Amino acid sequence: MNIEKATIEEIREGYKTKKFTVKEIVKAYFERIYKYDDTINAFITLCEETALVEAQRVDEKIRNNEKMSPLEGIPVAVKDLICTKGIKTTCASKMLENFIPPYDATVMTKLKESGAIMIGKTNMDEFAMGSSTENSAFKITRNPWNLKKVPGGSSGGSAAAVSAGFAPLAIGSDTGGSIRQPAAFCGNVGLKPTYGLVSRYGLIAFASSLDQIGTFTKTVKDAALGLQTIQGHDPMDATSAQHHGTKNYAIHLEDGIKGMKFGIPKEFYQEGLNEEIKTAIMASVERITKMGGEVEEFSLPITDAGLSAYYIISSAEASANLARYDGIRYGYRTENFTDIDTLMLNSRTEGFGSEVKRRIMMGTYVLSSGYYDAYYKKAMLFRKKVKSIFNDAFEKYDAIISPVSPVLPFDIGEKTDNPIQMYLSDIYTINVNVAGLPAISIPCGFSEEGLPIGIQLIGNLYEEEKLLKSAHALEQDLGLCNTIPTLKEVL
Amino acid sequence: MKTDTDVINYIAALAKLKFSNDEAEKFAEEFQQIMMHFNNLDTVDLSSVDMNGLDQLQPFLREDVLKIFKNEAELFSNVRDFKDNYILTPKVIE
Repeated sequence: MNIEKATIEEIREGYKTKKFTVKEIVKAYFERIYKYDDTINAFITLCEETALVEAQRVDEKIRNNEKMSPLEGIPVAVKDLICTKGIKTTCASKMLENFIPPYDATVMTKLKESGAIMIGKTNMDEFAMGSSTENSAFKITRNPWNLKKVPGGSSGGSAAAVSAGFAPLAIGSDTGGSIRQPAAFCGNVGLKPTYGLVSRYGLIAFASSLDQIGTFTKTVKDAALGLQTIQGHDPMDATSAQHHGTKNYAIHLEDGIKGMKFGIPKEFYQEGLNEEIKTAIMASVERITKMGGEVEEFSLPITDAGLSAYYIISSAEASANLARYDGIRYGYRTENFTDIDTLMLNSRTEGFGSEVKRRIMMGTYVLSSGYYDAYYKKAMLFRKKVKSIFNDAFEKYDAIISPVSPVLPFDIGEKTDNPIQMYLSDIYTINVNVAGLPAISIPCGFSEEGLPIGIQLIGNLYEEEKLLKSAHALEQDLGLCNTIPTLKEVL
Repeated sequence: MKTDTDVINYIAALAKLKFSNDEAEKFAEEFQQIMMHFNNLDTVDLSSVDMNGLDQLQPFLREDVLKIFKNEAELFSNVRDFKDNYILTPKVIE
């Protein structure tokens, strides 16, 4: 079996037919990680020992013909901001370099209960703030398709891990596009569920009203399986959705899209969008039409102001959430202090990286006396407006077709000195978080240079089923999910 | 509004961060550009938006039931200085 191409579905089938053992699969992934991850830098921490013990446990279950849970024996890579009991969770920050959570995030409990085997924690932008995974305090992750390019961010390690064939499933978080954009840059499937569908308990907070956990997979079907496992109400998260009980997201995947209505926001395809991306998306739109979908152009005037509203709200929430890192209860503590004030000041100044400090500063500024009405209040009003604009759109359409990113994967270092340029690369993804909607990014083509291009489908609240069905139909028609990058061992 | 190093240092003090003069100058420049971009919110008519209108996504509050927390040792496992169930800090009151 080509482990680098394996999907969750194929691995499950292999276990069922006893084609291979769980231990063999887990070992094969680790062999590949040891061979290539010195170059890709997808992982911060590896958990080989515990993964092999778990593999043995599942093999025993298979031998005894016991009932198998949906992700039994499936290796999973987890973004390093999801708390894992007894395993370092750093948020790619010096601030949490030695932090070992005393509890599991709900999403980890659910993955464990369904039999998934965690193989490691993946690299990311520090505290999920960034779009390129260059803001990690430890390493820069490289795009498996072109090692000079970024993998996107902030869940760049998880995206790169799936594309490099290090795991068939990775977990990420998406606050403004941090799953969909790296999935598009690395050429795999990234699913950001409706806000509240997946518990945030144990997800180290960046912007609590926008953060959402989701999956990276090779296929849409695998994304349905992953979502099936991690979703569901959790009393430990006050924003967790209550009345949207467990569904089988794969059940209607093959129903097709005949008669479904798709909207194309005309503002999304104007100046600023890379021509190759536009061409690839329009080719997909043609395929959707040929499959019986009805496509119509409409106006969605939210992009520019939406970007501002997003950065104001997310930074404001970040400044409050990151106030807890004071060098006292846990996290980095400076050696250089004389009193409690210098202890906090120096711990925070030395422990946070520059992008995190920039966001804390922006957030503190927009919440400070005299600027609250001018920035934060206005952003919150615009947020209400965005929700109502999307509501109107979903009266007419089943899904909205959009680019994921206005640009192709860019060079490492290209945008690090220009925060506004970096923020603009999130222009098509952030409004989805502002409105709490679900969205999926799937590969829809390649640039002339051979870089992956993604297409985004946005759905109405809790309509993941419709979204997955449309994405699956397009994916099958495009036939790109078996295309994988050729990796080199050294640069 | 012009963002200068005085504003940066004032906000930094609120955020419990500090910057060198060079950093503050660079930051002031970046800040100015970012805030100018944020001003595009002024071009949107928000007069009809009801800030207090109910959201479709409603929070859920669980019942506040008292539970005995058994693993205190784990709870404090990441604390640097700890004595008799208290976190040690430098002196707060002179």
